[in-house]
Amino acid sequence: MKGFSKMAYPYIVWMVVMIILPMLMIVFYAFSKSGNDVLTFQFTFQNFIRFFEDSVFPNVLWRSLKMAVATTIICIALGYPCGYIIAKLKGNNQAIMILLITLPMWINMLVRTYAWRGLLGYVELSSEARVYVGMVYNFLPFMILEIYTSLSKIDPALLVAARDLGANDFQAFLKVTLPLSLSGVVSGITLVFLPAVSSFFIPKLLGGGQYVLIGNLIEDYFITSGDWNFGSAISFIMAIIILISMYVTRKLDRTAKEDEI
Amino acid sequence: MKKLIQVKNVTKTFGSQVVLKDISLDIYENEFVTLLGPSGCGKTTLLRIIAGFLDADEGHVIMDGEDIANTPAYKRDVNTVFQHYALFPHLDVYENIAFGLKIKKQPKDIIDQKVRRMVSLVGLEDFLHRDVTKLSGGQQQRVAIARALVNEPKVLLLDESLSALDKNLRKEMQLELKQIQKEVGITFVFVTHDQEEALTMSDKIVIMKDGEIEQIGTPLEVYNEPINEYCARFIGDSNIIEGNMIRDGLVRFDDVEYECVDKGFKDNEPVDVVIRPEDIDIVPRNQGKMNGEVKSVLFKGVHYEVIVETSSGTSKTVTMHVTKEHDITNESAHEKISASNFYMDLEDVPNLTDSEVITRANAQAWNEDNEDVSLSKVTYNVKNEVGTYDCTFATDKGTEISIKIFVVKPNVIEDQSNEEGIQAFDFYRTADEIKESMALDTDLILWADAAAWNLEDDSRVEIWDVKYDFDDENIVEGDYPITFSTQGRELKVETTDKIEEGERIGLNWNPEDIHVMRKMVV
Repeated sequence: MKGFSKMAYPYIVWMVVMIILPMLMIVFYAFSKSGNDVLTFQFTFQNFIRFFEDSVFPNVLWRSLKMAVATTIICIALGYPCGYIIAKLKGNNQAIMILLITLPMWINMLVRTYAWRGLLGYVELSSEARVYVGMVYNFLPFMILEIYTSLSKIDPALLVAARDLGANDFQAFLKVTLPLSLSGVVSGITLVFLPAVSSFFIPKLLGGGQYVLIGNLIEDYFITSGDWNFGSAISFIMAIIILISMYVTRKLDRTAKEDEI
Repeated sequence: MKKLIQVKNVTKTFGSQVVLKDISLDIYENEFVTLLGPSGCGKTTLLRIIAGFLDADEGHVIMDGEDIANTPAYKRDVNTVFQHYALFPHLDVYENIAFGLKIKKQPKDIIDQKVRRMVSLVGLEDFLHRDVTKLSGGQQQRVAIARALVNEPKVLLLDESLSALDKNLRKEMQLELKQIQKEVGITFVFVTHDQEEALTMSDKIVIMKDGEIEQIGTPLEVYNEPINEYCARFIGDSNIIEGNMIRDGLVRFDDVEYECVDKGFKDNEPVDVVIRPEDIDIVPRNQGKMNGEVKSVLFKGVHYEVIVETSSGTSKTVTMHVTKEHDITNESAHEKISASNFYMDLEDVPNLTDSEVITRANAQAWNEDNEDVSLSKVTYNVKNEVGTYDCTFATDKGTEISIKIFVVKPNVIEDQSNEEGIQAFDFYRTADEIKESMALDTDLILWADAAAWNLEDDSRVEIWDVKYDFDDENIVEGDYPITFSTQGRELKVETTDKIEEGERIGLNWNPEDIHVMRKMVV
């Protein structure tokens, strides 16, 4: 093992350069004024104060969170039955269904979203509804795959045992299948909620510029107005919120396991 | 006792395979019933039909006088302990056991009471809130039993429930299961392939084979009075001998008539005779019912397991000619070559091929570096009649050796009492070839072309024994006799007295120790 551990060095260097350094840069920019350099670092909370002073920014943040939560809930509602049905299919059919679900992922997400823009042009929908369609469409496969995986790991003998102990099919599902598949739901939530809350091109492309989410704000400040410090502060706030929400979902998963029955 | 479950003419097929053929079985209240048989005999299928996980194609399962064909599994008064326990991994010990009661929506205090009683019955008081995945196999087993029993079923079904445990733990659990069954006083239906487990625990054993019931009886009945050869072999160690029932109380086997207590057979009916190893006594020679020679002694802890040969098999003796080295060296080509004379059966002449001649003569050539050189030319003029013929092997570089092939008449010994024939041929080998042999007995059989067969149906009979009287490590030139023989009558005897291999002894038994069985219908 010792010999192999050396093989991780390039990866560690890669992580430092491409992940940790940029993150530190974000923190650095978020807490400093514009126009400083390595020698003159001007510490400030001004970027954060600016964010919360103007009600526009918290409103956008709130809207993004609501959107992400709603997307996640819709994905669970559609993904769970879908994952359940696939897990019940026999061998070959199962493989075909998994292929069908992963197939769109072979095409770039941006391209697919463009395609949706064209498709949705034919129907009367509010810009909000269009964004929902795009979000759910893009993130649903992750939810289905996670739920399917956790369901297919459940030993069928457990359901036979539950029936033997007096549970009908519905009770067996509620008491055995559901709690054992919750871990899949939780990782599905992580995989859907995180990209959904920070997505910027879906609202941009499908919302027609009318529907601004936090991801769009960040993009605007970095790319259009070139205000990296404020953009970094928004990113920083987002990162904190995501960290908290991840902690909460993991906690939920654990208590769900403990509270069952 | 009251009949609790009646299985009536149940048939089950999976696809084209008939798994259960017209099974009928009564299970009584408070009975420990074991379904015993090898894997694939249908025992687990029968259990699943009783549990309600499978439906019978034909026939009925009647419980308490009611046909339960249409009662789903979860409404039956039956619970199962599964082969791999199937404990719920997301629940702890307490919750696993309480599962069934919670489903039935019993009040919390009642659940608590019942779970605690069960936990103390199976001895898991200290593990109440332990994660089931962190328990040992034996503890998981107990949880599974408690989880089933807490529902107070009328019947507990156990599906190979002990097979995943190691041997010592399994023995412990056998006793414990029997104890639990006595204590809770309900019917246990236990499925196993382990005859010892069946004998230890059961009130009633059901021996199954290929989807049919062979015998039903108490452990003592199936042990002492197996109904046929299959049951006798399945339960315990047995000496099973083919014989004929002369008349009531007299059976003939191995050419001698013996008294027995069995009745009800046709005169001269072909039968199988069972004598249990522990029923045979070893006595001085000529003082028992049979004489024999001790072939092997195995220490088994409490007793010795002795194999006694009471009549020898069919045998044939041949001569092995050990010759001196006869390598021929070809100096110019830097090669050596060797081969031996050989005898062969006249009947084999028409099918003789070059490669077979090379094999039989053990012909080989090699160069200075000890690498094998192929024999490119094999010439022989063997005719289809008895005689001596020349044969020459040669390599590409012209290295040659000549040998003789002796074609002889088939040389068969037929033993009518054993209904066996045997044949073997004299052969030539060098001392080195014998010294280099890794499995001498097998090589001797090969070199002598020894074979034995059943006279009746021509089927092959194994050469059981190769006897010779030389030290293969230090063998020198000369002629040596080698005797090949088939297996004779060997009886297994259990004794607590030490006995030496090769001792010549007598064997004795009482008439009631002989158990006569009808031949199995094939």
